[in-house]
Amino acid sequence: MDRIYLDHNATTPLAPEAARAMLPWLTERFGNPSSVHGAGREARAAVEEARRAVADLVGASPDEIVFTAGGTESDNLALHGTVRRAAARGKGTLVISAIEHPAVLRAAEGLEREGIRVVRLGVDADGVVDPAELERTLAEHSAGLVSIMAANNETGSLQPVADLAAVCRRAAVPFHTDAVQAAGRVPLAFDAWGFDLLSVSAHKFHGPKGAGALAVRRGFRIAPQLVGGRQEKGRRAGTENVPAIVGMGAAARLALADLGTEAARLGALKRRLWEGIAAAIPGAHLNGALDRTLPSTLNVSFEGVDGEALILGLDLEGICVSSASACSSGAVEPSHVLIAMGRGFDLARSSVRISLGRGNDAAQVERLLEVLPGVVERIRAMAAVPS
Amino acid sequence: MIRAARGRVVVAMSGGVDSSVAAALLARGGWEVVGVTMRNFCYGDLPAGSGASCCSLEAIEDARRVADAIGFPHYVLDFEEDFGRAVVDDFVREYAAGRTPNPCVRCNRLVRFPRLFSRARALGADRLATGHYARLGRDVGGRPTLLRGADRAKDQSYYLWGLTPRVLERTLFPIGHLTKSQVRAAAAEIGLEVAEKPESQEVCFVPDGDLRGFLQREVSARGLSADALAKFRPGPAVDAAGHELGTHPGSGWLTVGQRRGVGLALGEPRYVIELRQPNTAVLGTREDLAAGGCDLHEVNWTAGAPPAAELDAEVQVRHRAEPVEARVEPVSSTAARIRFGRPVTAVAPGQSAAIYRGDELLGGGVIRRALPRSDGAREPVGV
Repeated sequence: MDRIYLDHNATTPLAPEAARAMLPWLTERFGNPSSVHGAGREARAAVEEARRAVADLVGASPDEIVFTAGGTESDNLALHGTVRRAAARGKGTLVISAIEHPAVLRAAEGLEREGIRVVRLGVDADGVVDPAELERTLAEHSAGLVSIMAANNETGSLQPVADLAAVCRRAAVPFHTDAVQAAGRVPLAFDAWGFDLLSVSAHKFHGPKGAGALAVRRGFRIAPQLVGGRQEKGRRAGTENVPAIVGMGAAARLALADLGTEAARLGALKRRLWEGIAAAIPGAHLNGALDRTLPSTLNVSFEGVDGEALILGLDLEGICVSSASACSSGAVEPSHVLIAMGRGFDLARSSVRISLGRGNDAAQVERLLEVLPGVVERIRAMAAVPS
Repeated sequence: MIRAARGRVVVAMSGGVDSSVAAALLARGGWEVVGVTMRNFCYGDLPAGSGASCCSLEAIEDARRVADAIGFPHYVLDFEEDFGRAVVDDFVREYAAGRTPNPCVRCNRLVRFPRLFSRARALGADRLATGHYARLGRDVGGRPTLLRGADRAKDQSYYLWGLTPRVLERTLFPIGHLTKSQVRAAAAEIGLEVAEKPESQEVCFVPDGDLRGFLQREVSARGLSADALAKFRPGPAVDAAGHELGTHPGSGWLTVGQRRGVGLALGEPRYVIELRQPNTAVLGTREDLAAGGCDLHEVNWTAGAPPAAELDAEVQVRHRAEPVEARVEPVSSTAARIRFGRPVTAVAPGQSAAIYRGDELLGGGVIRRALPRSDGAREPVGV
C-alpha cells in the first residue's frame, strides 16, 4: 500500500533541491563561517546567500534575519528576548492569543510565573483574532509585546497580522508573529507590514529540520538567550548549522518561486476535499472558514467520532493525518484551539487535520474520500454499542 | 503493508516480555498485528526509571521498540479519564470505607477489556489479544470458556473473572498455553530485546510503592467525608469480646488478615479479623480469622448468565491462594453466596473471589462480607 502523506503542518519532506544544496556541506565543505581563512569564507558566503533567500521569503532585509535551530527557539527568543526588558521599563504585559502554538503558550506561562501579566485574546468562531479587541487591550494595559501567530497550526486560520501590526504601531508596542505555518504558504511582508519580530521554521516549507529564523526589525533590540560567541551579530551565539541553513535557503527560494501557483493548486484540492466530505459524511463540521484559512489546511470534526480513533484507522489504511498537537507519549488531548473557537468538548475531541503539500495530487484526495466514510462509519458503529 | 491472511488483531502491550511475545507469535502466525499501550494515569511527574509500572513512559518506549523490531504499528491510547473514574476513584473510596480493593480486576473488567475491545472494533480488528497467562476453550455447545494458564505458577485467570462472553468470543491469549520459561525462550529465539523486569506486584498507579503516601494525598484531594478521613487516623484496637487492647494507626491502612503494621505488641501473633465502623480494628488469633463462606456482589459469570441452581465448585479468594472446594449459590444475576468446604482465613471485603471448576473459570465477584464458620464461632465479618 502506498502511503499518502497529508500532514504537512507537522512537517514536510525535504525538497530534492534543498538536499542537493546541503550535500557539499555534509561532505567536502566544512568551514566555520567565523573563520577568516578560505574554508571559513566560503561557509560564510553560503550562510549569507541563505540569509538573503529567507529574507526574501518573509519580505525582510537580509541583515534582519537571525538563524536559529527552529521555530520553537525563534518564538522563545522573541518572547524572552523582549518581555523581561520591557517589564523592567514598566511595560509588564504580554498580549498573545488563546490559539498560539505551545512554543509561545508555554513561554508565556513561564513569564507569567516570573510576574509578567499575560493577556490572552480570544478568537471568533472561525478562529480569528479581532484587531479592535487588541486595540482595546492595548489601551488598558501597558504592554511590552504582542505575539499573535500568522496562521494557526491546527485549523490554518489566518490572522489579520497586517492590521494587528498597525494597531501595535499606533500604540507603540512591538509586534511578533509566529509565521511558522504561514511562511512559504501565503505571502508575508515583514518590512511593509511593520512587524518587529517574525518566526519561521525550515522544515515546514520543505527545508531540513533543525533550522529556523527570527526576523528582527532593523534597530530593534533583543536580549540574546544563548550567549557565547558573536555569531548572528551577537543575537544568537553558537557556530552556525551551515548544512541546515543552506538547505533552508534553497527551500525558501523554491517556496517563494512556487507560492502563488501552489496556493491555487492546493486551495482547489482542499475545496474538493471538503465538498467530498460534506457530501458523503453526515455530521461533518468545518473548523475555520475555507477562505480564512491556509489554502493547504482543512480541519474537520465528525460528530460521534473520536479523533484519535479516526487517525489510527486512517493510518492503518496508509493515510497520514493528525489531530491536535500530540503529547510526548503520543496520546492525544482535546484541542485548545477548537475549544477557544467555541467548539464543545465532544467536537473538539473529534477533529482531524488534513494538511496538503507539494507532493499531493487529486488522486490522493480521491483516495482519502474513498476510505474516509467507511472508517468514520465503523467508529460510529462501535461508539453506539455499549461495552 | 500486507493484508494478513488471518485478519487484524489489536494486541495490548505493556512493554514486558509476555505481551511482546504474544504480539510476535500472532505476527508470525499470519495476523495483521496492531500494538497498543494504554496510558491510564499521568506519569508526567515521575522521574525516569521510577518503576516497572505498566504505562510509564519507559513501558511505552519498550512496547514501541518491539513493534518497530517486528514491523507492525503501535499506538498509545489515552484512557486516563475512564481509568481514573473506574479504578483510581474506586480504589481510594474503598480504602476509605475500610475495604481492600483489587484494582487489576476492576481495570480488566471495566476498562482494559471493554475499552480496548471497542477500540479494536473501531480500528477494524476482529480480535483483541493480551499477554495474560490464561487459555480459551469451547464447551460442548460451542460457547467460549476461560481456562487457567498452562503454567499454574503464572496463571492469571483470577484477574479475568469479569470478562463477558461477548469479549471472550473475540479475545486471544497467545501465550496462555506456554510456561514462563517457554515465553522467555521464545523471546530469545525471536530476538526480542525485552529487558528482564522484576514481576510488578504493586499497584500500577502507585509506581513508587508508597501506598500510604498515595492514599494520604488522594483522600484529602478528594474531599471525602469526615467519616472517611477518620479512618486514616489512629483508632481503638479491641479483641473479639470488645476489650480495648490499644491504638491502631487507622483502619484505612489496615486489611483483614493483616498481622504486621498494626502497631501493637501483644506477645502472641494477632491478626486484624474485622474492621468496624467508624474506625475500630478487631484483633484476634489466626483461628478467629477463619470464615465459613462469603457473600459476593458485582458477580459476573463468564457464560453470560448465572447457573440455574447451586453448584459445587472451587473458590479462590486471592491471586496466589489455594482454591477451596465450595458450594456456590447464585442469589441473583449479580450476587452469590459461597460456603467453603473448610474454613478459609483472611477473606477480605473488597477483594475478589474467583469461581472455578477444574481449570475452567466460571465467574467471580467482589467479596461483600465474610460469613461465620458453621460452628458459629463468631459473628459475620465486614460491612
